[in-house]
Amino acid sequence: MALLEVKDLKVHFPIRGGILNRKIDEIKAVDGVSFSIEQGKTYGLVGESGSGKTTTGRAIIGLNHVTSGNIRFSGVDLTNLKSNRRDIRKEIQMIFQDPYSSLNPKKSVFDIVAEPLRNFERLSKVEERKRVQELLEHVGLSPESIFKYPHQFSGGQRQRIGIARAIALKPKLIIADEPVSALDVSVQAQVLNFLKDIQKDLNLTYLFISHDLGIVKHMCDEIGIMYKGRYVEEGSRDDIFYNPQHIYTKRLIAAIPDIDPFKRQKLQEWRDEVEKEYKKHYDDYFDHEGLAYGLRSISNTHLVALPQKG
Amino acid sequence: MWKFIVRRLLITMPQIILLSVLVFIMAQMMPGDALSGLIDPNIDPAAMEEQREKLGLNDPWYEQYADWITAALQGDLGQSFRFKMPVEELISQRLVNTFWLSLVTLIFTYIIAIPLGIISGRYNDTLRDQLISGYTYIGFATPLFIFALVMLWLFGYTLGWFPTGGSVEPGLDPGSFAYIMSKFNHLLLPAISMALITTVNTVQYLRSEIIDTKQKDFIITARAKGAPESRVYNKHILRNSLLPIAAYFGFEITGLIGGTVFIETIYSYPGMGLLFMESVLQRDYSVVTSVVLLFGIASVLGALLSDIILSLVDPRIRIK
Amino acid sequence: MEHTNINVIDIDTEKAPSMTSIIWREIVRDKIALLSLIFLVIITAFVYGISLFLNQEEIVKVDLFAINQPPSSEFWLGTDYGGRDIFGQLIIGTRNSLSIGILVTLMTGIIGVVYGLVSGYYGGTIDNMMMRIVDFFLILPFLMIVIVFVAIVPKYSIWSFSLIMTAFLWMGITRIIRSKALQERELDYAQASKTLGTPDWKIMFTQVLPNLSSIIIVTMTLNLAANIGLESGLSFLGFGFPESTPSLGTLLGYARNPQTLELRWWIWLPAAVMVFLLMLAVRNVGEALKRATDARQRRG
Repeated sequence: MALLEVKDLKVHFPIRGGILNRKIDEIKAVDGVSFSIEQGKTYGLVGESGSGKTTTGRAIIGLNHVTSGNIRFSGVDLTNLKSNRRDIRKEIQMIFQDPYSSLNPKKSVFDIVAEPLRNFERLSKVEERKRVQELLEHVGLSPESIFKYPHQFSGGQRQRIGIARAIALKPKLIIADEPVSALDVSVQAQVLNFLKDIQKDLNLTYLFISHDLGIVKHMCDEIGIMYKGRYVEEGSRDDIFYNPQHIYTKRLIAAIPDIDPFKRQKLQEWRDEVEKEYKKHYDDYFDHEGLAYGLRSISNTHLVALPQKG
Repeated sequence: MWKFIVRRLLITMPQIILLSVLVFIMAQMMPGDALSGLIDPNIDPAAMEEQREKLGLNDPWYEQYADWITAALQGDLGQSFRFKMPVEELISQRLVNTFWLSLVTLIFTYIIAIPLGIISGRYNDTLRDQLISGYTYIGFATPLFIFALVMLWLFGYTLGWFPTGGSVEPGLDPGSFAYIMSKFNHLLLPAISMALITTVNTVQYLRSEIIDTKQKDFIITARAKGAPESRVYNKHILRNSLLPIAAYFGFEITGLIGGTVFIETIYSYPGMGLLFMESVLQRDYSVVTSVVLLFGIASVLGALLSDIILSLVDPRIRIK
Repeated sequence: MEHTNINVIDIDTEKAPSMTSIIWREIVRDKIALLSLIFLVIITAFVYGISLFLNQEEIVKVDLFAINQPPSSEFWLGTDYGGRDIFGQLIIGTRNSLSIGILVTLMTGIIGVVYGLVSGYYGGTIDNMMMRIVDFFLILPFLMIVIVFVAIVPKYSIWSFSLIMTAFLWMGITRIIRSKALQERELDYAQASKTLGTPDWKIMFTQVLPNLSSIIIVTMTLNLAANIGLESGLSFLGFGFPESTPSLGTLLGYARNPQTLELRWWIWLPAAVMVFLLMLAVRNVGEALKRATDARQRRG
């Protein structure tokens, strides 16, 4: 059984207006998304900004209201969870995109990392301090730094503090929402490798949300591509990178930069070709609203939103 | 656009109803009732009780409220026991004075604010601006009533330039030129005192509005096209900065109401503010409730007016 | 466990300046604010210190043999129509005005912070409803309503006076706190707290509130200046402190008598100057705090 199963998830935001401020329309941020993640794997959710990937992640952890569909975590339905089952939530944690705003500037590192422990575990002051120090050591920060404040750290260090906080309760699933996109490129690889290390150490499952296909290729076992709230393609890493079927996916893959200057010419030709195909077949692959069609299975790991006709 | 106005109007109605309920509760909390003002207190208690029953003073509160509000809507605000006359007549006598006082104050407010704000905003961070900003800074820290006291003491009593009380010289023929001049003369010092303090808000607001507008792209474009500086200011900047100022006119009404209570008390100027103060002190409660209700409605409508003007001027407000 | 690619990163030991030191630096740099602060400290220490030795009963006792005396060596600032020493009343009045100003500021502050935080943090319909109530209070003719309540409250005391003032003065700070809380709740740290299982009330009061501390301090300082002015205005009209507990406004109230205003300046003018100086000084400090907390306006 999969650790996380999302079925036909919809998150719609109302647009209010009119005299009585009633709902007059809605934005379909997430519009019928289904996927599942196996224990210990990394699932990549890819899309441009506004595609609904972050909203999907936030809905799973309970930050966004779910309009319909269901989310099952270790067999428990999270969408209509009673508050006394709050402890199931502690098994899912999140790493935020912006390491600057995700740490409370008025709290010491000790208070920040201890926050989840104080909510769920009754520890004595001494135990609590020991746990926080261990966690900081685990993420590669010196245990002496517990009484410092976030502004005394660099972006990469702050993201490590965020990670220490996320793993404090020994969660099973971590939703990583663009965890490195706010960091310098030189620090990105460090943090990504570190995420892989702790995944092995703690047997974590990741839902990895990113717009950067290079990173996703490095991190993920399975990948879903989102566009305007819907899936356009889903498959294993190899399916997506070596056998992309949807024109949108192809275009994304073609856009990945390559550092080898000798391939530049070839790459450019390929890009032009993909672009031509994209323009030519756009109306086949997207409906009149510019949305993708339903997914169809083309192998037992690979699903594509292929044109309805023919 | 009209949607915003309709929505704003929909909020206004409950506000006025709530205000009237609050005023009614206040009236109920006041010692005595409508009868105490009407009847000789030496009358037989049994007869008094009979009268009460007849006037509906023993009805449940909501019926009394309904009676009171229906009467008020028809212009019947009750009897003043001090003046032995209907409150609405009393108020209409005094309202004229307050109206003129407020009007002259507003005129002075803008006469002071517009040039000062323009100079301050156009030449910001020069000596002129610093002097004007210093004035607004001190104006913010000066309570209106203290300033009015000092003005009265200085120009009214010590220098004797202005009359020290009343709204008109007694014994003048109403309607004559001398009468009108005397009225204006009595208005002048109170209005200037109030305007000099209340204007500092507008000066500051205009200043920052102009400084903001100065840096907008369309002004830079106008300059880049080679429009002369005076034209840039008169045609582009002023037009865009004065409109929001005009919109604040409605909010000024609320401030003026508080101001008139002080000013009219200090200058013994027979307007609504003084009427209110005298009536509270003399426990003439039917007058008190009516004045509060009227001034409350005035500030509700003032806020409504400003919001509507603002929404016409500034489209961002409509979205909210 | 092995972390080959991670070294224990040493953290820069230089400490960023704390808020207190920024505020202190800003005030010291701003000479006017520094003078104002010194003035306030001296006046406060003086009036609270001296009034320990002054007998309020003695000062407000009517002495018909010393009515309306101009300043002399016996009565430094003369006496009023009841032969009461103005200087003593000025000291006690300043103390009372300061006390009630602080009391009302604190009470409105507490209501404003809690109400604004709840409204802004929850947002949506709750916020909408809570703000309509604020709007209603805002359009009330404040001065008149307070006067009426003061006039009709049965057992009138200093406490009921400050409660009445509080009841109609909490909206300003509420609106400021609410709009700030609306911004803060969108920040990731507040969202993170939710995902960590922290209950809403705890996020509001232990996570968001500390981030509002500077704006609360600034607003309450500026409110203090306004409240001192309002109290003296109400007492001036005769609807604040009773004569037995003089405030600065009570002394100013004597000037409602034209003869006192015209001929006996020593009764009301010192109180007028005192109210003005107090308000100006408190505002100066408040404005300096505002600059200190807003990095863009900081002077150095």
